[in-house]
Amino acid sequence: MTGTGTLLQSGLLPQGMDVSFKLAPAVLVLGMLAVFLLIGFVFRVADTEDMWVAGRSIGNIENGMAIGANWMSAASYLGMAALIALSGFYGLAFVVGWTTGYFILLIFMAAQMRRFGKYTAPDFVGDRFNSDTARGIAAVTAFLIAFVYAIGQARGMALVGLYIFGDIGFAGLSGYQAMVIVMMTITVLYLTLSGMMGATKNMAVQYVILIGAFLAGMYVVGWTQGYSTVLPQIEYGMLISELGTEFSEPFATASPYLWIATCFSLVVGTCGLPHVLVRFYTVENERTARWSTVTGLFFILLLYLGAPAYTAFGVRMFDVNPNTATTYAAEGGMSAATADVLVVVAAQFANLPQWFVGFVAAGGIAAAIATTAGLFITGSSAVSHDIYVNLINEDATQRQQILVGRLGIVALGVLTTLAALDPAAPIGALVSYAFSLAGTVLFPMFFLGLWWENTNRQGALAGMLTGLTIWFIPMINEVLPTYIGNGEPYVAALAQWLPAIGSALIGVPVVFAVTIIVSVMTDEPSLETKKMVRQCHSPEPMGQQQSAEDVVTDGGEPLDD
Amino acid sequence: MPDNNSHNSTDKQIETDGGVAGQPGQSHRNTDYLSAEINLLNPSTPFMRDHLRVIWTGFIAWLVLVFGPVFATIVSPGVMTSPIPVIEFPLHYFLVAFCAPSGALVLSAWYARKRDQLDAKYGIDHSEPTGTAGSAEDATATDGGVDQ
Repeated sequence: MTGTGTLLQSGLLPQGMDVSFKLAPAVLVLGMLAVFLLIGFVFRVADTEDMWVAGRSIGNIENGMAIGANWMSAASYLGMAALIALSGFYGLAFVVGWTTGYFILLIFMAAQMRRFGKYTAPDFVGDRFNSDTARGIAAVTAFLIAFVYAIGQARGMALVGLYIFGDIGFAGLSGYQAMVIVMMTITVLYLTLSGMMGATKNMAVQYVILIGAFLAGMYVVGWTQGYSTVLPQIEYGMLISELGTEFSEPFATASPYLWIATCFSLVVGTCGLPHVLVRFYTVENERTARWSTVTGLFFILLLYLGAPAYTAFGVRMFDVNPNTATTYAAEGGMSAATADVLVVVAAQFANLPQWFVGFVAAGGIAAAIATTAGLFITGSSAVSHDIYVNLINEDATQRQQILVGRLGIVALGVLTTLAALDPAAPIGALVSYAFSLAGTVLFPMFFLGLWWENTNRQGALAGMLTGLTIWFIPMINEVLPTYIGNGEPYVAALAQWLPAIGSALIGVPVVFAVTIIVSVMTDEPSLETKKMVRQCHSPEPMGQQQSAEDVVTDGGEPLDD
Repeated sequence: MPDNNSHNSTDKQIETDGGVAGQPGQSHRNTDYLSAEINLLNPSTPFMRDHLRVIWTGFIAWLVLVFGPVFATIVSPGVMTSPIPVIEFPLHYFLVAFCAPSGALVLSAWYARKRDQLDAKYGIDHSEPTGTAGSAEDATATDGGVDQ
């Protein structure tokens, strides 16, 4: 991407996309947003338990849908098609990383986290390692993850918004930038009203809309263009040979090392993301936590198995369209902005009715809003619950907590909007940076915290600080040059071996090693802490509102620090 | 107790578990889980041993599923990129784009079911949660007192 304003604007206007106001799609999207607001209002939060963990009352199917909607953001709906279209086989690292990671989450962490039974990811870190500093670092990390992740969502919503509402540039802003502001304002408004209870109820609705729109788009495009009939997920194989060799040639656009690093980073990121983790805190019990992971993965696959098919259709139409085709899409013919809205543009290229294209676009917006909701709730709970209540004002009333939580959401909204006005990378890459961060800093804490009872405070602090450092180095090396420099990484060799998009491949083993070595060299954690870990793995059923700490301390007294 | 290391008797245990648990159920009742160390490599309770066996089996299958095709493509690109008859997919593309994600779903369902079977084997019932926060004492009482 570019750093200058004019180039940026041309780069952010997708080739061939019809940017104009369209009545039917606009009505559809505004109607959808109104429904979200209404649901959010009906299920608005009354207390902090509802605000952060939806009263721990969510069942299997509903939580599966919430996992799906929470998970599938603009990065899945729009960004993945872009990655597959532009990077060919390398793009599949994202398909694999963003799905198969759930199995690792399931076997090592989902039920155990539910048994631990607190509110947020920083809660786990703070209570498990008996350290407010560790909690603080985790809270800052959670906030940072929500911020980086949401930039991609804002970019996606704005690009799709351009198709629906046209170029509404105001106050000297470009159409894209104005759309970022409009979309983020709506999102923040809706979230501050609804909280987690409203957001979770909405997620089931948002899931139905996003998956319905995506599958409808894929099936109708495939059918009308003669590419596929009943199983586009398999039938697109016959199209691959016509898409230019770069589409399927292994490692044509990225080295095997980058493929593996990216996939690994996305897998561990899946296991370390606070907004994913919190989905297990909202369910009734640990068995629901397990089965809703399975249900959730099934709901996710409905989109992920179709994404390469939809992409293949879109790329084929792009290649044969006289307005856009100069070279094969996968060989540099398609701009990043076009690829980021390929799902919508494909429906437009197929000459489908405007309202239908609008429906596909609305799905993208639903995906972005649902994930941003999950992100902002966890990001703001880090501020309100973990930093404000636990570190600043221990006697905060519920009213104060909810107020600070809402301020946190607004702060995140403003920061994200500003960053998304001039984004440094396509949607998929932006989101992947957040995965690297979650995978490098939080995943090792969750994993070791749950599976090695001797992990202690000093080990966790050393590990998290090491993780943050390892994450920042490639970010500075690769992302900063977009703003200061010529856009190329400052140190090429570093970018090759410690890529920002896959820094967890190096980061995770190093953080594991540091945490373990420091833990071994310092005192073991207290027996209560060890018992808390044991309680997470014990097969004994627990009460719905009970935490591991309640059980080991015989009545819920807080642990000594 | 006699040796009960055989895990072939799962079905029988489930059948006889009507209130009077089988041997795994008894060992479960006799186990104080809060005194048993959590060790990923060296399980300290029969339940954990069974559980970790499922976990590691699943993990290895997952590793092969996710990274196997990629390594195979690095080693022998010729074979891996050849088209599959009928569906015409290049083999590597199909294994990665379709088989890995769906395989992960199958593995997940397999794990969740295995874990349910373990619960049945040890006579554990999650269908009726032990109640709300007030029941903390019940849960603690079953482990024979915390201070040992």
